[in-house]
Amino acid sequence: MVSQIGSLALSIASGLILSTFFFLIYYRLTKDKLFIDLSERSIIATCLSIVLATICLLNELLISNFNLQYVAQYTSYETPMFYKVTSLWAGQAGSLLFWTFIMSVYTLIYIFFTLNKIKVLKYHSYFIFAIIFGFFLFLSNFIANPFEPVSPDIIVQNGNGLNPLLQNVTMAIHPPILYLGFIGTTILFVMTLSALIVNEINYQWVKSIRSWALIVWTFLSAGIILGGYWAYQELGWGGYWAWDPVENSSLMPWFLLTAFIHSSIIQEKRGLLKTWNVLLASLTYIFVILGTFITRSGIISSVHSFTAESLGPLFFVFLCTLILLTMFWFFKHYHLLVSEEKIKSFTSREGGFLYNNLLLITMCFIVLWGTLFPIISEAWNGEKIHIGQNYFNQLNVPIGIFLLFLMGIGPLLSWKKTSSSTLISNFKIPMISSFIIGSLYMVFADEFRFYPFVTLLGIIFTLTAISIEFKKSFDSHYSKDSSFFKAIFNLLSQNRHKNGGYIVHIGITLLFVGFVGRAFEVEREFVLKPGEQTYFANYNFILNSVTTEERNNHLAAISSMDVTDESNTYITTLYPEKRIYFYRNPDTEKHQPHSELDIYSTMNKDIYSVFSSYDSDTKEAYFKIMINPLVNWVWIGGIMIVLGSLFAFWPSSSRRD
Amino acid sequence: MNKVYTSLILVFGLVVLWTIYLTNIREDKNLTVRYYTIKELTVEEKSINKVKIGGLVKPNSIDINESNRLEVWFYVYQGEDSLKVYYNGTRPDLFKDDAEVVISGKFDNNLITATELQTKCASRYEGDLKNINSI
Repeated sequence: MVSQIGSLALSIASGLILSTFFFLIYYRLTKDKLFIDLSERSIIATCLSIVLATICLLNELLISNFNLQYVAQYTSYETPMFYKVTSLWAGQAGSLLFWTFIMSVYTLIYIFFTLNKIKVLKYHSYFIFAIIFGFFLFLSNFIANPFEPVSPDIIVQNGNGLNPLLQNVTMAIHPPILYLGFIGTTILFVMTLSALIVNEINYQWVKSIRSWALIVWTFLSAGIILGGYWAYQELGWGGYWAWDPVENSSLMPWFLLTAFIHSSIIQEKRGLLKTWNVLLASLTYIFVILGTFITRSGIISSVHSFTAESLGPLFFVFLCTLILLTMFWFFKHYHLLVSEEKIKSFTSREGGFLYNNLLLITMCFIVLWGTLFPIISEAWNGEKIHIGQNYFNQLNVPIGIFLLFLMGIGPLLSWKKTSSSTLISNFKIPMISSFIIGSLYMVFADEFRFYPFVTLLGIIFTLTAISIEFKKSFDSHYSKDSSFFKAIFNLLSQNRHKNGGYIVHIGITLLFVGFVGRAFEVEREFVLKPGEQTYFANYNFILNSVTTEERNNHLAAISSMDVTDESNTYITTLYPEKRIYFYRNPDTEKHQPHSELDIYSTMNKDIYSVFSSYDSDTKEAYFKIMINPLVNWVWIGGIMIVLGSLFAFWPSSSRRD
Repeated sequence: MNKVYTSLILVFGLVVLWTIYLTNIREDKNLTVRYYTIKELTVEEKSINKVKIGGLVKPNSIDINESNRLEVWFYVYQGEDSLKVYYNGTRPDLFKDDAEVVISGKFDNNLITATELQTKCASRYEGDLKNINSI
C-alpha cells in the first residue's frame, strides 16, 4: 500500500511539473500574474510529492518489503536498522530519488527565502527548475523507478543485503553530505541563468548567491573529506585519495566553486568580473552533471560507478541541454556584463584573487583532462589508456604549492595597487619565519626532498601571514576597547566573511601538513603465528592470538597484536579483523570476505594494520602494516575548513569587510 | 585586453598545451599506461615494462604458495585467451574464481608480474534480480 502511494506521488510530481510548464507558457502569453503564482504552487507541490515518495521508500526499506526490487537488492532481514536507512542512497534508483528529494528541499528554501527578495527572477527560475525537475522525474518514473516490484516469478526469501563496505558510519554520512554539496549547485545554476536572462547580474545577485555558494561549498568540502576519511578507515589501502574518476568528479566542481567564491568577492567589492562569475557559477553545476554522467554512464570504469541501468545517454543529452542553454544566454547578453574598468595591477588584492582563479581553473583542467583522456584516446585511435596517480600528482602538486603560498600572499596585498614599500614591509616577517624554519629543516632532516621542503616553507609563510592579519585586526580593536576579551569578541563578531575565510585558509594549510606526510609513508606485509613477532619501522609487532566470533551478520577472525617501540615499551594493541559476510549462506559463492582494519592514531603518525588472510590449519596470519605520518592533520584541517566556512556564512549584524 | 588578463590566459594556455603534450605526444610512460588485451599479449614476444589488463580470474587456476600465502599464481582470461599472472602481496577481498580483475605490472615471457591487483565491486550489489530464482 505504502509503495503504491510512493509510486503515485512520483507520478503526480511529474504531472505537476508538466502543468508548471503550461502555467508558465500561459503567463508568457497573457501576462496574468495569477499564472506565476500557480506555477510557484505547482513547483512547491512537486517538491512535497517528492518528499512524500522518499518517505514511502524509506518506510518500505525499514519494514523490509522485499516485493520491491530495490528493497530486495539493497537490504536483507539482517541489515541493521541504521543501514536500512542509508540503503536509500546505496543503489541507482534510490539515489536518484534521494537526489530529487534534496533538490526539492533546496528549491523550497530558494523559493521562500531568495525569490521572495528577488522577485524579478521568479519566472525564469521556475522555468529552469521545471526543466531540471522534469529530467530527474522522468528518470525516476520511467528509467530507474525505486518502486518497481520484483518480477512475479521470483520468490524472495531474503534480500541481498547492503555491501559490507558501505556498512560504516562515515559511509552513511558521506554520500548525503556530498549530495547536499552537489545538488546545492542547482540553485547556483538556476539563480545565475535566470539573472543572466533578465540582466540582473548585480550587487543584490552577488550578495545573495555568495551565501548560497558558501553553504554549498561547505557541504561539498565536508563531503569530499568524509569520502577520504571513509576510504582511509575502510578500504585498507592506507590512503584517502586515489584520483579515481568518481573522486575527480567531485573535485572539479569544488575547484570551480572555490574559484567562484573568490572572484565573486571582486564583483561584490568593485563590480568587476561579472562575465567570469556567471561562467564559474554555471560551470559548477554543469561539472556536477558531467561528474554524474561519468559515474552513471559506465564510460569510465571505477570502483564507485553504478553500472546496471543505462542512464549515460540521457545524462549526456541533459548535459548538452544545460551547456547550450548557458552558452546561448551568455553570448546573447555578454555585452551587458562587460565592465569598462579592468584590473590593472599585478600586485593588487584583485590580482591575488585572479591568480587564485588561474591556479584553481588550471588544476580543474588537469583533473578534467586526466579523467576524460582515456575516453578521448580510445575514441581517437582505439587505444585504451590508463592515467595513473603519477599524472595527477606530478602536475597538480606544484600548482597546489603555488596556491598554498598564494593563500599567504593574498591577504598581504592591498586593493587596486600595493606600493613596493608596503609589499616589503608586509612580506618581511612571513619570509623571515619560513626562511628560519627552512634552514632548520635543512640542518635536521635526514634527507632533503624538494616538495616536502617547499611545502613546509609555504605552510610557515601562510600561517605567519594569516597570524599577522589576525594580530592587526586584534590591535585595532584593542586600541579602541582596551579589554583583551572584548577585543577578541569584536574581532570575531565583525568581519565574519574575512575572518571565516582566514580560518578556512588555516584549515587548508593543515591539509597540506597532512599531504606532506604522504611522502614519508612506509609499508610492509608479513606473516606471523601467535606468539611470533616482527620488527619494522622502529616498532615490534607481536601477534598474541587469533580468535573467531560469530556475529549477527558476519563471522569474524579477530587478531590481537601488541605494538612496542625499540626499547620494548608498550604502545598499543591492534585488533584488525577478517570478516566473512553472508557466511550462513550454504552457497560459498555468496560469502563475502572483508578486512576490518585497526588504526593506532596520533598527531605524529598512524600505525595502520590490515589483517589480510588467515590459515586456520597452520595458524598463520597475514598482515599489512603501514606507518602513515601526519594523516590526522588532514582531518583536523577538514574540520577547520567546515567551521571556518560556517563562521563566514553566519549572518553578521555589522559586516564591514 | 589588458596585460593582467592576457598574461593569465597565456599561463593557462601554456599549462594546457604542456598537459596535452605530456599525455598525447610524449606519451610519458610514468604518467600513462596502455591497456592491452590478452590476445595482444599472447602474441607479444618482447617484454613490456608497464602493462594494464582487465579480465576474469580463470576458475580453479588460483595457486597460492603454501609457504608464503601472500604469493599467488593464477590465470586471467578474456574469452578464449588467457595469461598467467604472478602476484606477491595482499589480495583484495573479492579476489576469487571468475572475479573481474584489473592488473598492472610487467609483462615478460608470457607472464605478468603484477604490481597491482584490483577487483571490481561485487556484481551482486548491482546485479539483476530477474535472473535469480531465489535470493
